[in-house]
Amino acid sequence: MSLLEIQDLVIEVGAGATATSVVAGIALQVEQGCTTVLVGESGSGKSMTALGVVRLLPAAAHITRGAICLNGQDLLQLPEHQMCDVRGARIGFVFQEPQSALNPVMKVGDQIGEVLARHLGLHGKVRRERVAELLAAVGIHDPRQRMTEYPHQFSGGMKQRVMLAIALAGEPELLIADEPTTALDVSTQAQILTLLQREQQQRGMGMLFITHDLAVAYQVADKLAVMKGGILVEAGSRAEIFSAPTQAYTKHLLAVSPRIESAVVPVSRTITTDPPLLEIKGLSVTFPIRRGFFKRVVAQFAAVNALDLSVQAGETVAVVGESGSGKTSLGRSVLRLLEASAGTVSFLGQDFFRLNPAQLRHARRDLQIVFQDPYAAMNPRLTVQQIIEEGMVSLGIGGNARARITRVEQLLNLVGLEPHFRLRFPHEFSGGQRQRISIARALAVEPKLLVCDEPTSALDVSVQAQILDLLRSLQDEMGLAYLFITHNLGVVAQIAHRVVVMHHGSIVESGTTQQVLFTPTHAYTQSLLAAVPRLP
Amino acid sequence: MKLALLTTDVALLGTLILVLLYFWSLRQHKLTSQRWRTVLKTPTGGSAAILLAMYVGVAGLDSLRFTAGGETFTALDKMLWSLRTQVETTYSAPLAAFGYAKETRYEAHGKVARDYPRLVYGGRHLRNPAQDRSRDLILRVARGGLLGVAGFCALLGLFKITRRCPHAPFWMPLAARRWRAQVMVIAALCVLGGVIGALAADYHLLGTDKVGSDVLYLTLKSIRTGLVLGVVSSLIALPLAVTLGISAGYLGGWVDDLVQYLYTTLSSIPGVLLIAAAALSLDLLMQQQASDFASLASRADTKLLALCLVLGLTGWTSLCRLLRAEALKLRTIEFVSAARALGGTQLQILFRHLLPNTFHLVIITTVLSFSDLVLAEAVLTYIDIGVDPSMESWGNMINGARLELAREPVVWWSLMAALCGMFGLVLAANLFADAVRDAFDPRLNNTLLAAPR
Repeated sequence: MSLLEIQDLVIEVGAGATATSVVAGIALQVEQGCTTVLVGESGSGKSMTALGVVRLLPAAAHITRGAICLNGQDLLQLPEHQMCDVRGARIGFVFQEPQSALNPVMKVGDQIGEVLARHLGLHGKVRRERVAELLAAVGIHDPRQRMTEYPHQFSGGMKQRVMLAIALAGEPELLIADEPTTALDVSTQAQILTLLQREQQQRGMGMLFITHDLAVAYQVADKLAVMKGGILVEAGSRAEIFSAPTQAYTKHLLAVSPRIESAVVPVSRTITTDPPLLEIKGLSVTFPIRRGFFKRVVAQFAAVNALDLSVQAGETVAVVGESGSGKTSLGRSVLRLLEASAGTVSFLGQDFFRLNPAQLRHARRDLQIVFQDPYAAMNPRLTVQQIIEEGMVSLGIGGNARARITRVEQLLNLVGLEPHFRLRFPHEFSGGQRQRISIARALAVEPKLLVCDEPTSALDVSVQAQILDLLRSLQDEMGLAYLFITHNLGVVAQIAHRVVVMHHGSIVESGTTQQVLFTPTHAYTQSLLAAVPRLP
Repeated sequence: MKLALLTTDVALLGTLILVLLYFWSLRQHKLTSQRWRTVLKTPTGGSAAILLAMYVGVAGLDSLRFTAGGETFTALDKMLWSLRTQVETTYSAPLAAFGYAKETRYEAHGKVARDYPRLVYGGRHLRNPAQDRSRDLILRVARGGLLGVAGFCALLGLFKITRRCPHAPFWMPLAARRWRAQVMVIAALCVLGGVIGALAADYHLLGTDKVGSDVLYLTLKSIRTGLVLGVVSSLIALPLAVTLGISAGYLGGWVDDLVQYLYTTLSSIPGVLLIAAAALSLDLLMQQQASDFASLASRADTKLLALCLVLGLTGWTSLCRLLRAEALKLRTIEFVSAARALGGTQLQILFRHLLPNTFHLVIITTVLSFSDLVLAEAVLTYIDIGVDPSMESWGNMINGARLELAREPVVWWSLMAALCGMFGLVLAANLFADAVRDAFDPRLNNTLLAAPR
């Protein structure tokens, strides 16, 4: 008998005639001491399945059929008060976003202690001892001190460790981890994954691990289940799925997942050897650190520190770094969306920082930006037409209204969307489609360089591959240059000609993609590459 | 007969015309007009719009002011001429034929009788009120109701003709599920109108006040005062709040400092004191310049306008504060950065990107403050710093009710009429605003469900 056995589970959203099934009859097993990974893209129903197991579905969703057996006991038959004894005690849950999963006004130790008091009946000194032990077990130094601190005093990775401590506190038989590393940097991700595996093996728990990242799945899985649109496409052992996938969808997912080994970016035909298009010299961006009642500036925090970089026309330069490395500040200060404190940025020989506001408005025409979050990047109250033509209108290019409509239709075609989409609103599109609209908006003013700030990190792998394809083909057609900011080394391998690695606001290593990815010289780059989960 | 508009008449009618022009211009904007149509299509939104339109219609008619033969009257007065002129001597209960208090009557033979007097106008057609009144009332209600139903049917027929659907039965809109609530509201209003008309013709439907004026007439006249106060004050406060709020949040720096200084100063002065000071100094000013005011009405009108001005100038701070916070949040959002990168000017960003995304706040706060203003009028008038006592207003009616409730037997109908009038207006405005906000928020649109995910 398996530890967890899901049979024919159907979860529907909505009621009556409008109900749609988000999970349509899946069957799944998790064995004692083993990890089953549920892989799928967004909307595949993998998180719904996990929430269904602990019966914490959102209000609109409900289980209409099936059985969920934990050690032979059907959880769906339990009354709610008995289910409360299952959650936390027999099933531990780790959420994706440690930021929002911890209560910001409660001490970390109390949040762990809550579980101990509820399920094990521990109180007072015994409980404090146990909290400290748990924190130590998940790799937090000085647990006695840290348990009296609040969540905001912990970094993202540390918060996820605390989450894990909470999940482990009730000594569960089954651990469910819903995308536990998606919000984290690669090196932190590697640490958390190792920790999860170690704890699982020591305690002999079963683990249901949910992820969209096949490489992460490969690292932790004993068994794999691939989901798509609420249906279980394929299930099997790790070796079966990765070496001999039988279903087309699984093969497709494996094919589009970015691999560092496949860094075969052809030297663009359009790269010129002329003076560089963009030349950054000694760029620094600092933020004042204010303290005290009068908000006195006590120090300066350098997000970017005396950085030099140049980009040729038609070239893609990738800026790689973990969160907090200053790569986004770099991208924004190049466009003067963020004022730099020192240094020069010259574009086509023109010093960007010396321009007055009116000149700057026109100079920005050559230099555009595509943002990470396709949901925040567009004004929800404007139509696609209005969004794309915005730059043309404000810079007075692109002719009259009729000419602009033609141009918008062309641009939509160019980024692979239907021309009649121009009358729709942003919320009617998926994330990938929105990112295409963002690109079309930037292209409308015919820029020479595009700053891409993590343009694919909010997207599914297959959509990510499409967007990268689009960017590459646009480069071939129009000779665009990209300053491509990302934390994902796999994406770098697919698109960049040159790579610079940033750490604490400075460049630690730069070179061609092949050099940096395969023969890194700097210790930081090496550790970064070592932390990347890899596919076989 | 000559048109003799006062300043607030011009303000109210002007706003009304501007709103109508706006809807007229919408014919070219397919998207916006479609959204307004969805407002009317939702049951609550549509019903609230109908009710609101009734209020606005009454206020509009009451703002068309004429003079003839030394008398000033409005279009509404002309329509309700009998209500205006049929004045009793003092209090009488709703639908009464006799006075509310016993009076001493000297009869022909020198006998002194103390009895409830017959009213001069209320129920004067009855030969024997004690016997005939209830039968007469029931007959009138039935007749009025039937008239209302007939009027409603005529409306439906008219609708059918204008819609050019000759083959459909005329009650078609009744059967249509989508418009049922709205059609029902119209039907209810028609029947109510018929009944009120039939009863008010020969009775005082809501009784009379201390000087014998018809309370129904006073209530209807008060609508204009409430609306003027709400609309004109909002019109003064809105531009201030919006421009100052979003520019403070977005531009930051000294603009932000200045705006913050302004609104913290303003909102730390107790509002009532400020209004009292303004009202009293205006009183003084008007006494010194007494010759400038041709009539009592123009004097009262100036006072009302001044009250609007003071309420408007003190009422923008809360919305401004909200908008500043929202703009602070929005200035870092990526579409604003994108607009800057695309060469948008500060002004373009403020009015194209920030303003529409704070629209929901503006609508909600404006309607809430509109309701507050209508209610504030009552409170301010109650402490004698509001509208002029000679002007019909709910505040004055409530102010009068202070004494009416203290006497025995209690005179309750003025207070009740004022409360019902206010309640209807404020409720309709709130429901309407909810519907508008829902229809104009693209994220809440029905299309969301059909969107590809």
